[in-house]
Amino acid sequence: MKKYLFIRILKSIFSILVVVSIVIVMVYKLVPTTKMFGNDAGYQRLKGIDKKIYEYNQLERLGYLDYVTTTDMCSEVYGEDGLSACLAGENTQEAYKAFEDRGYTIEVINDVDEKGQPATATIGYRYYNPIELIANFYSKLIVIDNPWAVEDANNPDLERKYYIGQDQNGIPALMCSGCNYKYQIYFDGSFPFIHQNIIELDLGDSYPTRIGVSTVSIIYSGQGSQSPFMQTFPTGVERSSALMQHTCRYKANPDHMDTQLFTDNYASCDARYDAPSMVNTSLIMGFISLVLAYIIALPFGVAMARNKDKLVDKIGIVYINLLIAVPSLAVIFFLKYIGSFFTLPDRFPQLGFGDIRSYIMPIIILALISTPSLMMWARRYMVDQSNADYVKFARAKGLSQKEIYTKHILKNAIIPIVNGIPQSVVSCLSGALITETMFSIPGMGKLLPDSIKQLNINMVLTLTLLFTTLSVIAVICGDILITVVDPRIQLAAKGD
Amino acid sequence: MENNNIILSVKDLVVKFKVRDRVLTAIRNVSLDFEEGKVVAIVGESGSGKSVFTKTFTGMLDLNGKVTNGEVWFEGKNLMENKTDEDWLKIRGKKIATVFQDPMTSLNPVRTIGYQISEVIIKHQGKSKEEAKKEAIQLMERVGIYNAEQRYNEYPFMYSGGMRQRIVIAIALACHPKILICDEPTTALDVTIQAQIIHLIKDLAKEYGFTTIYITHDLGVVANVADRVAVMYAGQIIEYGEVEEIFYDPRHPYTWGLLSSLPQLGEKGSELFAIHGTPPSLFEEIKGDAFAPRSDYAMRIDFEEEPPMFKVTDTHFAKTWLLDPRAPKVEKPKVIQNLHEKLLALTAKGGIYGEH
Repeated sequence: MKKYLFIRILKSIFSILVVVSIVIVMVYKLVPTTKMFGNDAGYQRLKGIDKKIYEYNQLERLGYLDYVTTTDMCSEVYGEDGLSACLAGENTQEAYKAFEDRGYTIEVINDVDEKGQPATATIGYRYYNPIELIANFYSKLIVIDNPWAVEDANNPDLERKYYIGQDQNGIPALMCSGCNYKYQIYFDGSFPFIHQNIIELDLGDSYPTRIGVSTVSIIYSGQGSQSPFMQTFPTGVERSSALMQHTCRYKANPDHMDTQLFTDNYASCDARYDAPSMVNTSLIMGFISLVLAYIIALPFGVAMARNKDKLVDKIGIVYINLLIAVPSLAVIFFLKYIGSFFTLPDRFPQLGFGDIRSYIMPIIILALISTPSLMMWARRYMVDQSNADYVKFARAKGLSQKEIYTKHILKNAIIPIVNGIPQSVVSCLSGALITETMFSIPGMGKLLPDSIKQLNINMVLTLTLLFTTLSVIAVICGDILITVVDPRIQLAAKGD
Repeated sequence: MENNNIILSVKDLVVKFKVRDRVLTAIRNVSLDFEEGKVVAIVGESGSGKSVFTKTFTGMLDLNGKVTNGEVWFEGKNLMENKTDEDWLKIRGKKIATVFQDPMTSLNPVRTIGYQISEVIIKHQGKSKEEAKKEAIQLMERVGIYNAEQRYNEYPFMYSGGMRQRIVIAIALACHPKILICDEPTTALDVTIQAQIIHLIKDLAKEYGFTTIYITHDLGVVANVADRVAVMYAGQIIEYGEVEEIFYDPRHPYTWGLLSSLPQLGEKGSELFAIHGTPPSLFEEIKGDAFAPRSDYAMRIDFEEEPPMFKVTDTHFAKTWLLDPRAPKVEKPKVIQNLHEKLLALTAKGGIYGEH
């Protein structure tokens, strides 16, 4: 089992890498770069040379190309000594030549500067080839925090060490001086209770929407408005603040506001928000609706199988056909309309996260939409099993119909259903597109289509990595779950 | 057929099936008495109604099947008056148990062997879980499972085919039934295991004193285990008698055909005997003797009128016009004329059904 899982996980990681690599190449090579600037308001305000240079800077930041200015080229070729001579005009052509030989394109931009005067700039750039793109993506992907992470010339005496300290609540935590994060491992009351800041994923920043915010924090950090709470800061000041001290990072130049609260440079903290993050929003709704769907669909499907061709079965088949045949958009509109009779809001932000009524309709709709297929499969598996020989023998043994269904058929029919549960959980995240759009729910469902539309390549890559990883994990979990319900299946590698 | 020890008596049974809006008559007016403690073998080709006939004893006909006429008397009660599943539950498994053909699929794959045996004991004998477990382990040992205690918690897939059939038999015996119906119990097993299982059933029948009804098309099994043989053809019993009578003095042309086609009788170099033609369609009404179109001995009357049961001896009956005093005298085929000696010779050579 252990060996099997190890091999399985290795294979899974390999497949994730392959999928993400393909998407990386597709995204960088097939998406037209000119279009994505259209959504950038800052870019629209620039003109002339600055606009062009901003473009190359941004493309470099997104990982498309390596961008070099004349200064870069001169200092690269002639070093500090020949730099001024090079910039003055001597040898510049040689520097350009050297870079052209390295595969760079040298471009002379003749345009106007910000004042409208004609100006010239010479720059060089080189687009990365697919191998470099993939290598760049993975090489910066995982960031491991360490006591030598902070480089601050103003603070040469910064201690470099790990130590066990206490957080503001008096709970012990693994802390660090010199690391990017002050708290490396800490405990708190929110799931999963033990948290770490040692390993972080760097998937780049979002662009062209929410410029400068990392894609990971768009998905994971809270939404809504800041939610302050009473807390004690290291200086002993007690005040109501939204800052979460566990997330504090090193800040090179703390201002006097920071020194009021913090005794050291770790003063750049995330704030607490009153609404859950995008991923949590989708997960909360998705999970509740999933449980609801299973609670409705399984007993109904089983009842249909037990009363095959009778009234219950016929009603169920009509229901299944209706829900599958009618477009889900129409179903959602219809249910929203019914919900409005019970004074339930037809858009999520009307009452917001704090009000339970905001959740009722989306959850009911999500649950109902996933019931028909669940019911259909539950019924089909049950009917399949009820024709099996062991059922015939169970009858001959003198068991009643009810006993045969509950003790024998159900246990067999549940096997394929159990296998699919983890995948349903994952699809909560990505599968609620229409419902989330209809109710304007700030969840994950819209994120991927939106970021594709906006050509937000880092976000697309982040979501690709997230969804592939979750899907692969779900498949493994499904297979592990199946071993629990089916004694015949054991996960074992050859020679185990 | 007068006998006071009759445990199950079938009278004028007719079973009809509805298949795609057409009515098929699977059992046509069958009457048969089963004597207590005897082993009765029902033989016949596929589709002759062997299984359907015995399924009516436990109310296990498929949903489209129906008993339209006849009575089945068991313990002073006509079972055909049972309407609900509840009524049948008092009989099925408890009084009349069935062992099916394929042990590989007869057991629930995701329940332990122990659970599947204890379940019956708890249900029919009302015992506690621990008592049921104790009895189940005893039963497992009795049917020849070693290390029963450890194997109690194992799953069917951990058992071989022969062992599974032993478990199926143990389950069938868990409630000490009066009648055990073995529906081709050895067809899916290899020959050495077949012999073991047959001996097991034979021994258990002696020990538990149940009446055994074998359904088989393996005449080797019949010769070895049966006291009585009923030959079925096209939904009717066409010959019934003591096993010796059927083997050594068969009277119906169909029985002759069956016996002639025993592969053991084949001689090297010559082709094996086969009954030509196919059985009649049961959708249509059958006129005369159902076997007549395939029989080499058919007379004109065979196509016009159904023959009655002729009595050969007190225990031997056959349904053929050949037994009518007016019929011409016909010798049975040469190949089965001295079947007794031939079969004895085979057994002496150490055939699989020889003494162990």
